[in-house]
Amino acid sequence: MRPIAQNIRALTLAIAIAFLMTSLGVGYWTLVAAGELSRDPFNPRLLAASIDRPRGRIVDAKGAELAVSRQTPEGWRRAYADRSLAHVTGYASFKYGASGIEGAYGASLIGQDAADPLGQMRARYLKEYADPGAVQLAIDLDLQKAVAAALGGRRGAIVVLDPRTGAVRASASLPNYEPGLVSDPAQQDLAWQQLNGNTERPLINRVAQGLYPPGSTMKIVTAAAALESGLDPKAKIRVDDPFQADPSWGTYRVRSSSQAHGDFDLSLAMQRSENIYFAKVGLQIGGARLAEYAGKFGIGTAPKCDLPAARGQISNTGALDRPTLLADTAYGQGELLVSPLQMALIAATIANGGVMPTPHYATAVKDASGAVIRAIAPGPVGQVVRADTARTVAQTMVDAVQAPGAFAFAAKVPGVNVAGKTGTAENPSGAPHGWFVGFAPAEAPTVAVAVLLENSPKGGEDAAPVGGAVLRAALGR
Amino acid sequence: MLRMKAAPRFAELRLLVFVAALLVLGYVAVVASAAASFSATPVVVPITFLGLALGLHLFLVARGARGDQLLLPLALALTAIGLVEVQRLAPERLALQQLTWCALAALAFVAAMLVPRDLSVLQRYKYTWALLGLLLLISPLLPGLGREINGARIWIGVGNLFQFQPSEAVKILLVVFFAAYLEEHREMLSAPPRRFGPVPVPPVPYLLPILAMWAVAMVVMVFEKDLGATLLFFGIFLAMLYLATGEPFYTLIGALLLIAGGVIAYQLFGHVQARVDTWLAPFAEESRFGPSFQLVQGLFAFANAGLVGAGLGNGMPERIPVVWSDFVFAAFTEETGFLGGLALLALYLVFVYRGMLIAVRAPTPFLQLLAAGLAFIVAFQTLVIVAGNAKLIPLTGVTLPFVSYGGSSLVTNFLLTALLIRISDVTARVRGAP
Repeated sequence: MRPIAQNIRALTLAIAIAFLMTSLGVGYWTLVAAGELSRDPFNPRLLAASIDRPRGRIVDAKGAELAVSRQTPEGWRRAYADRSLAHVTGYASFKYGASGIEGAYGASLIGQDAADPLGQMRARYLKEYADPGAVQLAIDLDLQKAVAAALGGRRGAIVVLDPRTGAVRASASLPNYEPGLVSDPAQQDLAWQQLNGNTERPLINRVAQGLYPPGSTMKIVTAAAALESGLDPKAKIRVDDPFQADPSWGTYRVRSSSQAHGDFDLSLAMQRSENIYFAKVGLQIGGARLAEYAGKFGIGTAPKCDLPAARGQISNTGALDRPTLLADTAYGQGELLVSPLQMALIAATIANGGVMPTPHYATAVKDASGAVIRAIAPGPVGQVVRADTARTVAQTMVDAVQAPGAFAFAAKVPGVNVAGKTGTAENPSGAPHGWFVGFAPAEAPTVAVAVLLENSPKGGEDAAPVGGAVLRAALGR
Repeated sequence: MLRMKAAPRFAELRLLVFVAALLVLGYVAVVASAAASFSATPVVVPITFLGLALGLHLFLVARGARGDQLLLPLALALTAIGLVEVQRLAPERLALQQLTWCALAALAFVAAMLVPRDLSVLQRYKYTWALLGLLLLISPLLPGLGREINGARIWIGVGNLFQFQPSEAVKILLVVFFAAYLEEHREMLSAPPRRFGPVPVPPVPYLLPILAMWAVAMVVMVFEKDLGATLLFFGIFLAMLYLATGEPFYTLIGALLLIAGGVIAYQLFGHVQARVDTWLAPFAEESRFGPSFQLVQGLFAFANAGLVGAGLGNGMPERIPVVWSDFVFAAFTEETGFLGGLALLALYLVFVYRGMLIAVRAPTPFLQLLAAGLAFIVAFQTLVIVAGNAKLIPLTGVTLPFVSYGGSSLVTNFLLTALLIRISDVTARVRGAP
């Protein structure tokens, strides 16, 4: 029988090891994870610093104020210029945390930007707060108003970005909310309760967090994948509605939206948005190849944006291993889910010679004197497809808008070549979603856009004119 | 305590100076940072406490106690930190209440130094203690007497004035019973006549207490909804079993039983499931402002700590609900930093180490088991709550010994400290060492 003293020593050793591991756990939260948690928009400490002091301003690309702190008899209150920017500016509530830019740049807005460690330490240890400056966005308030007007009262989202830099110039999501109410201690409880009880989920930024089947806008990805797999864009592929690859599909068939019978090349298939053409192309290149390109174009990965963005998915499992699923995915149905921001980035990649830009809302953090503390200009994500592939796809997208009889004709802008693609996405929640994604001018693109209209009766047919209006406003025409 | 001849305890006295410095500095920092108008409490509390501390020291000196001189200053230092934190975090009336509990704890300490006159009483009447423990344990379930507070039915109370958490005292009774029971039967348990492969199989009757203990732990989890107590009781029991037999298989089997019980409870009971789910994904959108709010705010407090902390009174730990009880470690760490948290853990580790040292040196197996079990209570409880704060294990509502606000816990821990000092006193007398 072991002496008890020996057991005591063994137990003491075990206790000492447990203390060591617990210490490591505490060290993880206090030292390793601390940075990220300190910037978490729900951490009340950043917001506490602005209870008795103004927060920094949020301004647009031209310096127009989007969010400012105003002195009221009850203390400092946040005022927001434009409700259509609710999801961009976000709210700043001491109780419910902060969202949008208010959350993502929470430290910058109280004069403690990460690029200014001295200011951070003065605030932390000496309680000496620098006068907060401003966070400047790429948003253009005039364009934003035009975009909100183009969306009308419809549930959906529109995002406009510069394909060369990824800077977001306009971003509207409906339904939206009044961020000033959530930020006001007197009204926040009621507002928060109502917003969270609302089944239409107005707090969700549909631009970056809303996920939808892409419908025919997916054909841009399928076309690029096929071109890089050796598809000849001029080759004719026979389309006979309805289509079934082999009897193992049972009763399942791919339908053409125009009950087509005839020979299609890539350009015509894009103009007429021919499902059967793309289903056949998808089956030709195979599920692995299509999944690879969908992944390269960012589907299934959250865009590295400064606002929270959803990942989406290629399929429930991430693979395209069944022929019917592959055929459906190739023309944009199946189990695909994407956000409007992801579709805008796909359009921007084609516009930008195959290089995907990194999306960002903010462009600079400035101090109280207006000097730039930190410029925000993230480099591109990388080369997604070859430049010549991008050029060929871009031409088919121009045809899809400009050619006689093209489906997306309503997106035309006088005097400018527009490249675009509509989509009508069937979904379980009712009428199809309408999509338009595109860019202009086609020769040297400066604007990329994605329009999504939830449950819009005519789908893409409703979205194309909205896309046209947005492009006109963005190009100043 | 047999002898009445006074004997000096200089080491203890020197250490008390540090306790006084800790308390006064902490109070000054906390009071200076608070914007509140002047009140008498911040003056009354530290002075009274230092009086109590000196009183306890002088009592030991007067009784001629020869035992350990580190434990009392360590316990007082931890209690002082607790007072500073209550002053910092809790409403003012709680600070005065905690001071009252300190006085009661000091009384309990004195009483435990005097009664029983001979520690062998603990060994002789072991089944009485077990029965008493069991009665205390189920007392919160009795109608009229029991109280449900914060979702756990672990309190007894008379009117609204007096509330006590009997499971705290039960821990000591359990250790006493197990020390006595295992000391008696440890031969049979550690060298049983039959073995199943490497697994010892003691005769069935000896296994009964193990199964009974498991059943009790499950009852506490299910009916009193107290996951912390469940974990503590069972952990104490397994540790005692190991100490007596040196047989890791019992601990292994016991741990498996506990996990099995936990898995079944997870399937069957909402409160167990909620705890585990919020632990796994505290930042999930649907629970961030709901069930995991407390844990998330605690992690934010850690994140604000950095290496040296925000400074006492300078952080924002008051955002954590009932911070002065469940999250006092996170609050202390936020304001004193990773280093402060480490220092606090080190105080516990030294306390536990001294306790284990007393156990190793104790003259009889019963006293060895008793001292080691008592030290283990402090170690295990500290680990469970600190690891719960740091999201290493699911959060359970046990107190941080000596520091958390709460009377039952404080009184129990001072009883425990007194017992350890008495055991070391016995050792010193038996060995005749200074």
